[in-house]
Amino acid sequence: MNDAFSMLGGGFANILQGGTILHALWAMLVGIIIGALPGLTATMGVALLTTLTFSMGHETAIFVLICVYIGAIYGGSRSAILLNIPGTPASAASTLDGYPLARQGLAGRAMGISTTGSWLGTLFGALCLALFAPAFGEFALRFGSYEMFWVALFGIVIAGSLSGGDPLKGYIAGFLGLLIATVGQEPNHAYPRFAFGNADLAGGLGLLPVLVGVFGVAEVLQSMRGPAMKAVVSKVDSVLPRPADIAKYWRTILRSGGIGTFIGAMPGLGEDIAAWTSYAAARRGSAEAEKFGKGSVEGLMAAETGESACVPGAIIPVLTLAVPGSAPAAVLMAAMMIHGINPGPMLAITAPELIYNIVAMLIVADMVKLLYGLVLVRPLLYVLLIPRERLMPIVLVLCTVGAFAITQRLFDVWVMLGAGLVGFVLRELRFPMAPLVLGVVLGELLDKNLLRGLVLSGGDVSPFFTRPISAGLCALTVIAALWSIPAVTERLRGLIGRTRPRTQPG
Amino acid sequence: MSPAPSSEEVVETASPFEDEKAPPSVRADLVTSAVLLVLGLTVVALSLRMPTFLEQSGTGLTAPGIVPGFYGVVLAVLAVLLALRTLRRTAVVGEKVAGNDNGRLAMAAGLALLYAGFLVGRLPFWMATALFVFAFIAAFEWPRGPAGRPRRLIEAAAIALCTAAAITLLFEELFLVRLP
Repeated sequence: MNDAFSMLGGGFANILQGGTILHALWAMLVGIIIGALPGLTATMGVALLTTLTFSMGHETAIFVLICVYIGAIYGGSRSAILLNIPGTPASAASTLDGYPLARQGLAGRAMGISTTGSWLGTLFGALCLALFAPAFGEFALRFGSYEMFWVALFGIVIAGSLSGGDPLKGYIAGFLGLLIATVGQEPNHAYPRFAFGNADLAGGLGLLPVLVGVFGVAEVLQSMRGPAMKAVVSKVDSVLPRPADIAKYWRTILRSGGIGTFIGAMPGLGEDIAAWTSYAAARRGSAEAEKFGKGSVEGLMAAETGESACVPGAIIPVLTLAVPGSAPAAVLMAAMMIHGINPGPMLAITAPELIYNIVAMLIVADMVKLLYGLVLVRPLLYVLLIPRERLMPIVLVLCTVGAFAITQRLFDVWVMLGAGLVGFVLRELRFPMAPLVLGVVLGELLDKNLLRGLVLSGGDVSPFFTRPISAGLCALTVIAALWSIPAVTERLRGLIGRTRPRTQPG
Repeated sequence: MSPAPSSEEVVETASPFEDEKAPPSVRADLVTSAVLLVLGLTVVALSLRMPTFLEQSGTGLTAPGIVPGFYGVVLAVLAVLLALRTLRRTAVVGEKVAGNDNGRLAMAAGLALLYAGFLVGRLPFWMATALFVFAFIAAFEWPRGPAGRPRRLIEAAAIALCTAAAITLLFEELFLVRLP
């Protein structure tokens, strides 16, 4: 325990050194602006900013990216409240009560609630990360190839089931992602799969170019195609958060924080689902449920706390299993690898202090967010007025630079363009993008561990099902898959409905 | 009942994420299933043709084709499921989302391809970027009519030059990143 405190102290000391905190100030500002601008998401922000961190030390680089991540998730609710347009998909639940509050002339109050909820959410999540990640990391040390195979597969299945409304398309997207990850030399014999004699393809499709394409280029295209948004500045009242709100809704805050962190820790689910689930749970548990959707302080608080608690939650599996909890966390993980950090179970042995450093980063970033939440109101309103015709070409230039900069191959720029066009078409056909990203990220893990497991057992597949942890993970995967079949859930609901009076659907 | 929006409030409420709820048409889903089925089967065929490295491993369990072959089979099965489900679905006419403009989409995609696929690497980076940003802004703001057009074009040129200069300096000098 003392060790933990001294490592956390060391983490704070590292970050609070002069130069590093300056990085937090600009990175948070960039994150909030990216989040507030509709069409620019947290995933894209973290992917683009990764390019800028190449020359930094690895801790500074991670700190910058965490600030962008936290800032973007928070910034998204500004446009949700003021424009009724979620700046990132994570803020969709915030429009339900944030915008009605703004329409009642309470835009400032709504932003104050958003700041409070988001600040407390991230703080709650960071504390959970500090409490659970080291213990979970130690547990994960018992995972062998068989278990890691199931972890990867569970990630794809759960992300496919829950991230886009249509589980079947979610699974397809996940397996397409896994397939993308197989291109290039495989780990055992360095055989170039699907290279067709092309040296660039034999090198594989880079993770970052694919992500920048799917989240950057595809979003630029979608934004330019859609209808114009008429932005607007309404008068803003005081944005100061009210302690009375915290005192009144502390139960909702704790519940949403718990839900947000838990959903974050599930592979590939992400902030949007955390916000919706917290919102639905708050409505079910609320004494004033009728106000939800009409400007409920509690509803907005729940959505904001949930989405922001999800950020540290999503980092828990990155550090302990090398499995990202959300799409932006996937990019963060890729950036960690670029900077020579190998996240996963071994981290608890090779760099135990890193977990506490990241907790310190999250808490400091959260404080910087609070600061901006209080002072940065007017300037953000003007940012929202930048027309997309002038913003999007610049975003596309940044995407190109981001894709090129990692390995300095023009091939990566083409990969980005290809991924962008394919990603756009898949989105149009309602394929969710989160499982695809998770597939690309988890491809290597699944590939390596499946074959390693088979080699270890001499071709016998039974250890995948009989080792205790393996069996548990297998059961979870099967349950997650069954859960997505409507016939199964309906029958289950029927069974539960007989024993329990029906609650209001949320 | 919500109060009527005042003149200074937002009227437009379309969200870039809203249209994700409407399902695509039956035909689109069927074509998708067919494409995915062909993809899955092609992957299986290619995986079967990969070497097995039997001499090196002794067991053939590290054959490069196993994993992609597995993915190919799963994709093909999921594609068939998608097709079956689509056929059972009552025909829904794909809703056209109001305000979506395919002309603008084609223009944006064309300019992006021209810039990232052709100009970058052939022209100096700053020049390619300035040209692209100017062309993008000018093309999308052109339909607003002749009133104020010279001013908009001058603004576009200024934004283009500033972007090119700022990105080149920021990345190459401050963050030490190499540009194409």
